[in-house]
Amino acid sequence: MAAATVDPDGARRARRPLSLTARLALLFAALAASLLIVVGVVMGRAVDAHFRELDDHELSGKLNLIENLMRRARTVAEREALPQRLDDAFVGHDMVAVLMRDDEGSAIYALHANRFDAAQIEGTPLARAGAMWQKDGRQFIGREETLVLSAADAVAATPVRVLLGLDISHHARFLDEVRARLWLGISVSALAAALFGWVAAYKGLAPLRRVTAAAHGLSAERLDMRLAERDAPAEVRDLVEAFNGMLDRLESSFRRLRDYSADIAHELRTPVSNLMTQTSVALSQVRSPDEYREVLGSNLEEYERIARMVSDMLFLAQTENGRLPRRPEAVELADEVRALVEFYEALAEEQGVTVRVRGAASVSGDRLMLRRAVSNLLSNALRHTPRGGAIEIEIEQADEHATLTVKNPGDTIAADQLAAIFERFHRASPERHRHGEGAGLGLAITRSIVVAHGGRVTVTSGAGLTIFRVTLPSAAGAQH
Amino acid sequence: MKILIVEDEPKTGDYLRQGLAEAGFVVDLARDGLDGLHLALGGDYDLAVLDVMLPSLDGWGVLQTLRRQGHELPVLFLTARDQVEDRVRGLELGADDYLVKPFAFSELLARVRTLLRRGKTKEPDVLRAADLELDLLRRRVLRGGVRIDLTAKEFALLELLLRRQGEVLPRSLIASQVWDMNFDSDTNVIEVAVRRLRAKVDEPFEPRLIRTVRGMGYVLDTPEGG
Repeated sequence: MAAATVDPDGARRARRPLSLTARLALLFAALAASLLIVVGVVMGRAVDAHFRELDDHELSGKLNLIENLMRRARTVAEREALPQRLDDAFVGHDMVAVLMRDDEGSAIYALHANRFDAAQIEGTPLARAGAMWQKDGRQFIGREETLVLSAADAVAATPVRVLLGLDISHHARFLDEVRARLWLGISVSALAAALFGWVAAYKGLAPLRRVTAAAHGLSAERLDMRLAERDAPAEVRDLVEAFNGMLDRLESSFRRLRDYSADIAHELRTPVSNLMTQTSVALSQVRSPDEYREVLGSNLEEYERIARMVSDMLFLAQTENGRLPRRPEAVELADEVRALVEFYEALAEEQGVTVRVRGAASVSGDRLMLRRAVSNLLSNALRHTPRGGAIEIEIEQADEHATLTVKNPGDTIAADQLAAIFERFHRASPERHRHGEGAGLGLAITRSIVVAHGGRVTVTSGAGLTIFRVTLPSAAGAQH
Repeated sequence: MKILIVEDEPKTGDYLRQGLAEAGFVVDLARDGLDGLHLALGGDYDLAVLDVMLPSLDGWGVLQTLRRQGHELPVLFLTARDQVEDRVRGLELGADDYLVKPFAFSELLARVRTLLRRGKTKEPDVLRAADLELDLLRRRVLRGGVRIDLTAKEFALLELLLRRQGEVLPRSLIASQVWDMNFDSDTNVIEVAVRRLRAKVDEPFEPRLIRTVRGMGYVLDTPEGG
């Protein structure tokens, strides 16, 4: 919740990136447009070439026709009738323009000659292939060939320059129309593609919106909800899994917090109720000073229990808030352990337990806190070691870290108990709640101290042997 | 011995005054920092017990002003915030000791006596109570002329009890002075250690010297009160 409202101004200042949906829609449109443009260009070229071929074919046909008619004019009479025959032949062929000239340039035959360029009429030869021109808003292609008019009677054969023109305006118009429709088609398709892209992206991103909606619906009271991993598409499944994992962790933290409050209340209730009962019974009748003293002394014991619990909890809260440790110094673990063994010597002897220490290592940290961490491990081991047993403490120095193991014989701890052993208010068994023992905060304190020093503590238990292992960064490593 | 208490919490202040007065000190109580400072500057005190959180001028301010004006008055801080920062700051400013609330009164009393005793008396080489004799130079203990073998830590524990005869010593103080353990152990290790010492130096003899004071700690005194 806090994260969402952290910096609204900053979010407004920075330009928002384009939404995924918009990006996909744009991409689809661009893709469709470029694809269609390529297809359109290729198709246009093909149609163009096809028309050119048709026109060429038409021109060749007409030339053949002219040539045929010229070849058949074998007499003078026939030669004179040629124009008439040509006229007949071109009836209905309005597209065609013909200009036939002899050597001297005088016209033998002309049909729609005004369709040719002035230059062409003057006698400038046409380009060999694909000659093209425009006149009066119409488009033409043309060809020029020199044909031979056969000899007739006494008249010798004469070369004739034939200029042939073909009106192809309708083709050009057709192509223009096709192009216009193609552009329209491309635009419409691009729009349609954008729309489809938008819809697809919007639908495709629905699982993401579900995650968002779920995140919005979260609160401390509703941490039990989970997203269905099965119907999430592959791309979103990771996110859904991560999200559910986060919910798992949050839920268990919250549950622990709730349990913690409940535990505090429970732990306080016992001494407070003892105090109330004792005091009200004491006050119910007049007693001797010794009896009052006894009650007050007993009360003081309960108060001390409460006070110790309060300060332990404060200590835990501070350690876990990262306030500790201050001022690290080089700490010889072996020295600290020996001092602790000396401290617990009387208790160990009384319980018939021996303590052996081996090895040495140097770590960097707060001496008092590290001592306290190891002290809790040792007192825990003493509590659970049967008479005649031996606790073994081994210290090892590796390159980057130091390990300290505390092994004690005793009942094997069940796996589910092991997992919770470093939790606050955890006790090996409920009936162990003897007077003089702590509230089950010792191992939690050990862990928080070790973690605050950048280390970790683990526990294993099996075959009647329980082993706590503390790993701490070694002094050399911590001093860079 | 004259002690100044600066404490704004009414009940705490009253009980501290009563407790210290009954322990034989002359006690003045100030309810806020400025009053406390004026009293400290004007009166001839041997020790000040200073709360950190005070109205008008906090404990740090009082201590700073005192030290700036060259007062050597020993100061014991009471802090409700169990923070290393507080501890470090207090000691840097020139406080002599500190106690974190909640604390046991016996603990406060023991620390007050430690501060007041500091550098004052030269300890004798042989400590005595009734027919118990502890020779610091020869490192040996005699009871009624009989030599008793003690471990090094038992010797140190007995030395502490003898040095502070008649004072109730809380377990935490014993742990700190004898074993240098400055935290509460969640075991009854001090109880066991005292019991074992008692079995060696006290139980076979008369009169019994080491007593348990319920809820407060241990005291060594001779029945006659000497």
